[in-house]
Amino acid sequence: MLRTDEILATIQMLHAEHLDVRTVTLGVNLNDCAGPDVDLICRKIGQKVARYAANLVPACEKVAAKYGVPVTNKRLAISPAATLLAGHGAGAAMAIAQALDAAAAAAGVDLVGGFTAYCEKGIAAADSVLIGSLPEVLSGTERVCASINVASRRAGINMDAVALMGRTILAVAAATADRHGFGCAKLCVFANAPQDNPFMAGAHLGPGEPEAVVNVGVSGPGVVGSALRRKLELEPKLTLGELAEEIKITAFRVTRVGELIGREVAAELGVPFGILDLSLAPTPAVGDSVGEILKILGIDRIGAPGSTAAIALLTDAVKKGGAFASSSVGGLSGAFIPVSEDAALAEAAAKGYLVLEKLEAMTSVCSVGLDMIAIPGDTPPETIAAIIADEMAIGVMNNKTTGVRIIPVPGGKVGQTVAFGGLFGSAPIMEVRNAGASGRFVGFGGRIPAPIQSLNN
Amino acid sequence: MKPRFENAYVLNVMADDRPGIVAAVSKAVVGAGGNIDACSQTVLSGYFTLIMIVSFPRQLAEGPFLAALMKPDRRESGFQVQIRPFLPEAEAPAVADADNFVVTCFGPDTPGVIYRFSSLLADKGINIVDLYGQLDGDQFVLISQVQIPKKWDLAMLQADLEALGAEQGYTVRVQHENIFIATNQLRLGRHAEQH
Repeated sequence: MLRTDEILATIQMLHAEHLDVRTVTLGVNLNDCAGPDVDLICRKIGQKVARYAANLVPACEKVAAKYGVPVTNKRLAISPAATLLAGHGAGAAMAIAQALDAAAAAAGVDLVGGFTAYCEKGIAAADSVLIGSLPEVLSGTERVCASINVASRRAGINMDAVALMGRTILAVAAATADRHGFGCAKLCVFANAPQDNPFMAGAHLGPGEPEAVVNVGVSGPGVVGSALRRKLELEPKLTLGELAEEIKITAFRVTRVGELIGREVAAELGVPFGILDLSLAPTPAVGDSVGEILKILGIDRIGAPGSTAAIALLTDAVKKGGAFASSSVGGLSGAFIPVSEDAALAEAAAKGYLVLEKLEAMTSVCSVGLDMIAIPGDTPPETIAAIIADEMAIGVMNNKTTGVRIIPVPGGKVGQTVAFGGLFGSAPIMEVRNAGASGRFVGFGGRIPAPIQSLNN
Repeated sequence: MKPRFENAYVLNVMADDRPGIVAAVSKAVVGAGGNIDACSQTVLSGYFTLIMIVSFPRQLAEGPFLAALMKPDRRESGFQVQIRPFLPEAEAPAVADADNFVVTCFGPDTPGVIYRFSSLLADKGINIVDLYGQLDGDQFVLISQVQIPKKWDLAMLQADLEALGAEQGYTVRVQHENIFIATNQLRLGRHAEQH
């Protein structure tokens, strides 16, 4: 028999603190759709996605109702589209993107990830076609998300790809200038991209994954924040160690919700359950914020000294609670700090407390990188590339995933606020200091070699 | 459950809660040569209630046994005691082919709330296996753990209960028990691991 206090604690978390399952992402391998005939590729994409995904939304809704836990987003992740583009040109890229867009719409999902290429060591012909098509694809489709892996622990950093992405990001922004460069919100540049990440925009079904698989992203910064606040009201003299313990317990509960829902949705769909990504992913809703947790932990202005230590504590406690709760933890699994998608972070950036350099420092101890950051549209491409290079270096040297999702807002000036709508939120345009001073470094090109694996200090 | 001895009884004791009740009751059982085969106690707002299955090698002389419980050492114990024969066939009226759910209701207290919810459940053959209710200010919290026969469409049942709750300003939720097991206990939940 269940105990009453257990039932009440769960009800509190689910309904008063609005815990949800942030995303159920169905991965589908589309490699067998490849071929010389673009029309046939597109038809096969439609058929294969429909076969696996037709029941995704109803299955999520059925399981959500059974447990009283909403599944906020239902999404698709496909095997890297660069594979489908082998031997094809720019026209095929757009046709395939449109086929994916239509397949996602038919399945009732809002985003499909996997317009992806791996270029950490070199840019193959198909990768180059894919990257070249991004301005057209990300402006001409609604649901398609792209990610490019330009660095890894084993390969180092492909600076040619980094430079190319600097230019590409500006081109994508220009192609979506009417929406403040929104296309860039659907484009991630990664080091050590996870193969099983369910979170957009970086979700894709990497090599080594099953034919189809359900991966789940749980969230819950609001729940963690509430738990800490409640605990501190009862016992204001807690130490940081005790607060970490509370975060751990909450992460355990949140993770369990995700695993229960994920396993059952997978069973409904008849595909294996893959992993659970226990990232704290904020939304623009007030209270559902990682920044808010930093404030509860005593950082009055996010970005002040101590911010990096606080987010390190948070990320580690989340991982520990999650790892104990489930043996299927994967993806990114940490704390996200996407500026536009987190009301408290956006506010701190607008007030000038939180600057790009401090965000970068914070990403060295939390997933996933410089995320949803608006910068002036006249930032030089070499500077954007250098921002990417710095972030990739953090990932490669620390053997972790890092990413960059940065939006140069066309015509935008520092201090203006731009709104991207819905879950993408709104953000102030942040200052890029020393813009234009990294061109020679980026201009060398080539590859920053893979780091040494010993002498770890 | 099979009691230890042949002559088994259901014993029910109610009293104002205080230390020593279980000791007093078990002393009387031992004194009569009996064995306690199962027991469960609850305390609600200062009132203690205890239910036990007790068994004896010989038929129990109920009069002296009750006297020993209610007037030990010639002083009133203040216990209200009931005893009746234990019939093993009365066990486990479990609902066949059912699944365990938790129904929670939160809303303004009014007389008849439990009656209306429980009537709807009874009408559909839904067994209540555990019930908790508590008044908190003018708000009432009702938590029932129930067995819902699988023949019912869960979405329809949820809609019925929500509609009933809405009439009285209540928020009603029906959730599978696994969500509570998963979030509170070390295991993920009954049946959930097999998926």
